[in-house]
Amino acid sequence: MNRARIVAMAGLAVLLAACGPTRPAPGIQGDPERGKVALTQYACHSCHIVPSIPGSKVYVGRPLDDMAERRYIAGKLPNNQHNLARWIMDPQAIDPGNAMPNMGVSERDAIDISAYLLSQ
Amino acid sequence: MLSNRARLVVKTVALTLSGLGVAGAIGGLVVLRGGFYDISATEQHYPVIYTVLAQGMQASVAHHARAIVAPADLGAPARVPRGAVLYQANCVQCHGGPGVAPSLHGMSMQPAPGPLVDADTNWKARELYWITRHGVKMSGMPAWEYHLSDDELWDVVAFVSAMPGMTQDDFRRLAGRPAGQAATAGEAP
Repeated sequence: MNRARIVAMAGLAVLLAACGPTRPAPGIQGDPERGKVALTQYACHSCHIVPSIPGSKVYVGRPLDDMAERRYIAGKLPNNQHNLARWIMDPQAIDPGNAMPNMGVSERDAIDISAYLLSQ
Repeated sequence: MLSNRARLVVKTVALTLSGLGVAGAIGGLVVLRGGFYDISATEQHYPVIYTVLAQGMQASVAHHARAIVAPADLGAPARVPRGAVLYQANCVQCHGGPGVAPSLHGMSMQPAPGPLVDADTNWKARELYWITRHGVKMSGMPAWEYHLSDDELWDVVAFVSAMPGMTQDDFRRLAGRPAGQAATAGEAP
């Protein structure tokens, strides 16, 4: 009885761990867990509502909870990780004059941030 | 005179509550002095703490600003360019603007300084004035009362109130960095 309970708990723990953002979605490069912290260090969450990041109800940028489902980035680029990382690094080159500033995100950070957003 | 039974109940309740209080205080002291709480700005707040602090701030600002009356000429066109100069000197570093990034220190703060293009949906003009004048504890928002004149404070409020209607070009012309200058320029290692 006791052993069965331990096994059940361990199974539940594995299941919960698998649901977390630590596991990148299939075909996604980079480290989503690192990207989750990195995006707060570029203040992405000051304008966007980001899944699992506590913040204000802000609607300046669009909420980022459905990035994996999106077909286009900024209504312009086909949504894949390469293009998302490009957008994060230099949105002004892709859509000049849009409200999202170039935040000076490095390539590694952009890949990790896109990995997090695409793994939600 | 209480019956023996009632006295027993009262005694049990009192002892249980004080026991819980002592245990809670010891637990709190261990967490506090043990340094287990992560104070770093790379670790996010617990969602409930963020929500409680944000709601408390909103209510506190509304309460303290309730008697402030905006000057009759708050909408005067001359205020916006004057406010823009002050915004560029003192505010854009943390709050940025349409198409304009904050500086590095503004990006990595916690809580992250909010954008102000939506300030008109969250705050009344008198509340923006109060926040700018008095600052907000534990948020990184400084008080400007002793650094800007009262008229300058209202100039800033007028400019921030005009931000929602600005394009990136409008904002850059009034208060931004030169176009094309990255947030990290001159600051990258």
